[in-house]
Amino acid sequence: MDAKGAPLPTPPSPNPSSGSASGAIDAPKPMLAFHFLRALSRVHAGPARRRTRTISRAAYSSMARAAGPRRAWSRALLRQAQARRSTTLASRRAAVLVRRRVAAGPAPPLALPRLTGRSSGSSGETSAARAPLLPPPPPAPRQAGEPARSDALRRLVPGGAGMEYCSLLEETADYVRCLRAQVQLMQGLADLFSCQ
Amino acid sequence: MSGRRSRGSVSEEEINELISKLQSLLPTARRRGGSSSSSSQASTAKMLKETCSYIKTLNREVEDLSDRLTDLMATMDQNSPAAEIIRSLLR
Repeated sequence: MDAKGAPLPTPPSPNPSSGSASGAIDAPKPMLAFHFLRALSRVHAGPARRRTRTISRAAYSSMARAAGPRRAWSRALLRQAQARRSTTLASRRAAVLVRRRVAAGPAPPLALPRLTGRSSGSSGETSAARAPLLPPPPPAPRQAGEPARSDALRRLVPGGAGMEYCSLLEETADYVRCLRAQVQLMQGLADLFSCQ
Repeated sequence: MSGRRSRGSVSEEEINELISKLQSLLPTARRRGGSSSSSSQASTAKMLKETCSYIKTLNREVEDLSDRLTDLMATMDQNSPAAEIIRSLLR
């Protein structure tokens, strides 16, 4: 974990070959640690209310940031986080809609009956649904031979609703790897903090 | 990889390959007497089910750990060695 010692103002560029054992490109652990620790320090400096929720959200956003925009799930998570941040400044109604959406967890929003309007630009402050809407999920499995169980998977993996079955499997694998690394990181931190 | 996506349909072998790759990630990667059985619908469905429950388990762990970290952060001494390490990392 040498990359963590570098006192750079900008995070070190992710090096895909730096540590993943599986042969596939994965979010390297120093990047994960950097983003999460930074988020944690912000949480610590902030208000003490609802910290658990803030920390768990920070976990997912830092996971997405470490993975970068090349993955659909990380892009979906970053979009959700952005929508959350921006609607705290917007109208009350929009904030309620977004809160309801993200309260469902990291899963992408399905076609809720309350979603109104589609904002085309990314800078509309007062439109009700600022976050880009995902295409409505297909009522039946997309491809022949795709099992019905894949719908549950689509709900669990962020951004999974609009994907092809093949991409869904790839994204799931990457998501599981990163999620596992995030859990390991948090576990290590908890152990570190609890043995002072 | 992009060449695969540009075709209209994806071959079953590719899907099976992805599924077995996913399966190897799960903690319950049991080799059920030969991996050629992955083409059957039943084991695919079971594998997806295991994946779903594993993701849910990981989500729950994130929540639990967030809880733990919240408590630990509340009681963390500003000058503890751990806090010092973190501060130096982020400087």
